[in-house]
Amino acid sequence: MSLRQIIILITVALAVMVVLPGLGRYGAYIVYVVAIASIGALALNLLIGYCGQISFCHGGLLGVGAYAAGNIGNAGQDMVVALVGAGIVTAFVSVMIGLPALRLRGLYFAISTLAAQFILEYLFRLIEPWTHGVSGLLIQPAPFFGLDLSNDRGYAAIAVGLLVMSLIAVSRLLRTDLGRRFILIRDSEIVARGMGVNVARTKLWAFAISGFLAGMSGGLLAFTSRIAAPEAFEIALSVDYVAMIIVGGLGSLPGAVIGAGFVVLLPEVAQRIGETFGAATQTAALREMVFGLLIILFLIHEPRGLNSLASRAVRRLRRTSGPLSNNKRSSASDLEMTQARL
Amino acid sequence: MLKARDVTVRFGGVVAVGGMSIDVHAGEIVGLIGPNGAGKTTFINAVSGTYVPTQGTISWRDEDIVGHSPSRLARIGVGRTFQNVASLNDLTVLDVVKVGRSVHGHSRGLREFLCGSRADDEALTERLLEPLGLADHRHSPLQMLSYGHRKAVDIARALASEPDLLLLDEPVAGVAPAEAFALAGFVKQVRDLLGCAVVMVEHKMDVVMSTCDRVVVMAEGCKIFDGSGEAAQSDAEVRRVYLGD
Ligand SMILES: Nc1ncnc2c1ncn2[C@@H]1O[C@H](COP(=O)(O)OP(=O)(O)OP(=O)(O)O)[C@@H](O)[C@H]1O
Ligand SMILES: [Mg+2]
Repeated sequence: MSLRQIIILITVALAVMVVLPGLGRYGAYIVYVVAIASIGALALNLLIGYCGQISFCHGGLLGVGAYAAGNIGNAGQDMVVALVGAGIVTAFVSVMIGLPALRLRGLYFAISTLAAQFILEYLFRLIEPWTHGVSGLLIQPAPFFGLDLSNDRGYAAIAVGLLVMSLIAVSRLLRTDLGRRFILIRDSEIVARGMGVNVARTKLWAFAISGFLAGMSGGLLAFTSRIAAPEAFEIALSVDYVAMIIVGGLGSLPGAVIGAGFVVLLPEVAQRIGETFGAATQTAALREMVFGLLIILFLIHEPRGLNSLASRAVRRLRRTSGPLSNNKRSSASDLEMTQARL
Repeated sequence: MLKARDVTVRFGGVVAVGGMSIDVHAGEIVGLIGPNGAGKTTFINAVSGTYVPTQGTISWRDEDIVGHSPSRLARIGVGRTFQNVASLNDLTVLDVVKVGRSVHGHSRGLREFLCGSRADDEALTERLLEPLGLADHRHSPLQMLSYGHRKAVDIARALASEPDLLLLDEPVAGVAPAEAFALAGFVKQVRDLLGCAVVMVEHKMDVVMSTCDRVVVMAEGCKIFDGSGEAAQSDAEVRRVYLGD
């Protein structure tokens, strides 16, 4: 990410912060739900989209982060401590889940993550002192750097801030030796090994960093929903996250945010529509089917996701209208035109 | 110094390399030639850690390296190029060269994370990409390059790790003659500069003759000749293997 993109990102974040007080509670809720999911999607995209390790236990990892943050917060710690602690615990669990990747490749590894997902779900019900079993762990509001931000707007500010920091950190990471190795391993593990890359160690770093981000995302989720319960972190959540990064764009940073927004908001919109037509239950049941269908359609027709669709549309608009109007359009109007086209 | 004794690599019933021995000294460029299927690539793979030989010993600077992984070998100065260069999707020329440099061990992760790598890019471009004719392509993804350029990138990548033993598997195959001599000339320059040992597998005899100090000929998995390039061309056994009479 160039300096220009970082500045744009921070400007957008500040703009969100400024309009936050003007948003209603529902608006603030939407902002933080999307931002938290974006952090989780970013974590998964780092692992799948950049390092090529397909994982179906991301929902379970978010759960680990949620329980860890909840326990640390309930012990009277600051939310910052709880989130970092959740990141560290989840990074550790993620590395454990990643160990089979040293032996297994592709779909075989993906199946081992499926097993990990079910083991985690089982543990969430089993380890009652930490998880309170099926009834779930209630989580007390915690101060953030000593401030009381336990309301929708506060959460939105924290989540957007954390998302921006994560985006910048991951984009910088991708421009280090480690990040380049991730991409090399995704493109060809055999070539990477032949070139002298320590594939095993590189993969474990990918799991650790992805796990850290997933843990923070899960932790925030726990604080905002005030409860961590096993049914919230089931396989369906893992599938949702895979859908996010496929729809948004594998190996694309904006794609993680676009995908998260899409997958989180689509059910909201569907529910609204369902309510107006008095068929809320039917549309809710359609949800998973629609996501499954979307994954397949995107994999076949647009493997690089909405992000590449959007940038291609922008490029085409530039080209067709280029000779007619030489004046530079602002990127804001470009975006509007793209949306109009979509 | 590289010392291989009686190296044998089997794939099931196929004996790809059977009892190969070779010594390569620092500062020497050895041409490894032989007909197709002679086992040259397999031998390179055994030395660079891609395959573990079924039999025999390989030592590098008096250290037994049989069973070492390629990453461990890279750290003790063994670098290699590939006969078939990969067409990677997203990585640019500079990215690949930086991966090559990083395998030598000194990590610059945190510094790059905090400060970026622009100054670094310029140094690498000047030192490696300029002489290999890749400077203009440094930000191009590998898949956009011609085959010849991808071969050159692979050499730049291997050189970036500053190897003391450089294993080149057909570095100029499929490259236009003029460029082939330029590439070979650069390998020679690097040898003069770093004093590294080079093993170069190559079919183009004129390149071998002008670049290598010594020639080793392989046929059906073993060494049949070891000596000067001129002597190899007049050797009866070598002529028999190549001309099939
Ligand atoms: N992975 C493998 N599995 C089975 N057989 C192999 C494998 N690699 C090489 N061989 C066999 O080993 C023999 C030597 O192959 P190798 O690639 O080393 O030859 P080469 O001298 O490099 O030939 P060329 O000049 O065509 O590159 C060949 O008969 C080949 O079919
Ligand atoms: Mg070969």
